[in-house]
Amino acid sequence: MKDLTAAAPAPAPPDPLQFKAALLLALFVLLIAGTALYLMYARGAFEATQRLVLVADDSEGVSVGMDMTFAGFPIGRVRRVELADDGSARIVIDVPRKDARWLRTSSMFTLVRSLVGGATLRAYTGVPSDPPLLDGAERKVLIGDTAAELPRLVASARELLQNLAQLSAPDAALATSLANLQALSEKAKGPRGALGMLGSDADAKQISAALARTNALLARLDGMAAKADTQVLGPDGLVREGRSAVVQLGGLLADARASLKRVDALLAEAQAVAGNARAATNDLGALRGEVDATVRKVEQLVDEVNRKWPFARDTELKLR
Amino acid sequence: MPPVPSTARQAAAQAASTARQAVAGWWGIVRLGAQLLELASTRSTWGRETWRTLAQHIVQDTAPMLTWFTVLTTLISVVVIRIVIVTALSYGLTQYALEMVVRVLVLELIPLTAALFAALRCTIPNAAEVLALRTQGHWAAAVEAGSDPWRTEVLPRMVSGLFSALMLAAVSCVVTLVVAYLSVYGPVVSGLEGYTRIVGHVFNPAVSLILGLKIAFLGVAVALVPMASVLSAAPARRRSTSPELSGLVRMFVVILLIEVASLVGNYY
Repeated sequence: MKDLTAAAPAPAPPDPLQFKAALLLALFVLLIAGTALYLMYARGAFEATQRLVLVADDSEGVSVGMDMTFAGFPIGRVRRVELADDGSARIVIDVPRKDARWLRTSSMFTLVRSLVGGATLRAYTGVPSDPPLLDGAERKVLIGDTAAELPRLVASARELLQNLAQLSAPDAALATSLANLQALSEKAKGPRGALGMLGSDADAKQISAALARTNALLARLDGMAAKADTQVLGPDGLVREGRSAVVQLGGLLADARASLKRVDALLAEAQAVAGNARAATNDLGALRGEVDATVRKVEQLVDEVNRKWPFARDTELKLR
Repeated sequence: MPPVPSTARQAAAQAASTARQAVAGWWGIVRLGAQLLELASTRSTWGRETWRTLAQHIVQDTAPMLTWFTVLTTLISVVVIRIVIVTALSYGLTQYALEMVVRVLVLELIPLTAALFAALRCTIPNAAEVLALRTQGHWAAAVEAGSDPWRTEVLPRMVSGLFSALMLAAVSCVVTLVVAYLSVYGPVVSGLEGYTRIVGHVFNPAVSLILGLKIAFLGVAVALVPMASVLSAAPARRRSTSPELSGLVRMFVVILLIEVASLVGNYY
């Protein structure tokens, strides 16, 4: 407790006290005003925004003030949630202008409700070059609900468990099969071993005989394989002869190549002869023309002689 | 019907008397509070002398404890924030840690701490001073001298207590917000945008209004109730029960009611 004598009506305080009091008041006003301004800034009061309306069938989990994120960064804030005339929920979101460039006309919006924590609103933009989203645009929101998936999951699990229970029941097919398998394994442990599982004693004997014959057959096949090996891969085998035949074939092909070259030369000569013959043929045509002209002149001369010949037996001029 | 034993009758009569006293005490507090508020809102009250006395009380009450209350608040905030963040980390709920810190500390704990601190260091001693003035005869002497002790003694102390509570609450809220940021992000500015967003998310208009009202009502309660308790207590009753103690109890009851109302407003 303070000194009571000081609590009695005191003389007027000195001026520094008033100054300190004014300082305290100023500090108080500064704190209050600064806090108020900071809270207004934090609430986006000084930020230009545009409006986006997301339409959902169910707005459960959406609360006023929650963020809408893009690539993990909050780019919008739910301003209000209202019920439309058609019964759908309208989630009105304020998106700051500086962040609105991430939203395009082709952007997709999802509302995901997880088991732990609140719902999250996310925006995805696949084609950043599309036109930007306009102010007041309305978009459908895709809903992913973990809680809604649970009943389906539980139903599937129950079905699976029922199937398992049916499988493992005493009279189930699986139990019968396992019993048969056990009986088989008991037989396999018997004196006849695995052959005992295949049928009666007679069958087992037949199988033993078949196995013996198979062994003999395999021995013969082994001998045949050895012989075939000798004939194919031996000193006079097919492989060696084939190789020499291939070498000879190579020589034959070389000869044939030389023959073909000679034939080519012959053909070239024949081509030249044919060219000469063509030229001679052309000359022959000219010669024939000249012979034709000469014969015609001789004929005209003979006709002239005949006309003028006085001893002609027939002087009558006939038209031919 | 068997006759009621005299001891039971006496106990019932005593309980009724206690209840009457309690109601009368509360009514006296309400009446005196209304008178003091009316006095404070009267323009003629605030003469030059009252302003001087008020300035003196403001400096004497608030300035000495402001520094080390800030230090104390910082320490408490660091410890509580550390506990909350480490717990949230261990449960994988880090995204909710900061929001929880702001809600628990700034909205709930710090205003209450500031109000209690102002009550213990300022308003209850002020009320005791006023009580001493009355019991030691200074009050009557001042009245005889033509002075009005309500204006010169009571009102400046009450307003100074209110200012002290509000100032401590404002300082501690700001300090806690800064300490929360530094505890989570460290001395960098890169987290400021995300932090501001979370703070904006927590302090929606309703929560901000409730916080403001809560701080204001807590301040009024710690400034008014102890003073009104010592002034409304009759001299005969003062001998049986300490008016400081009854004022303390009544102040805690009022603080509890304000806290409950704030919780109901915030979370229902």
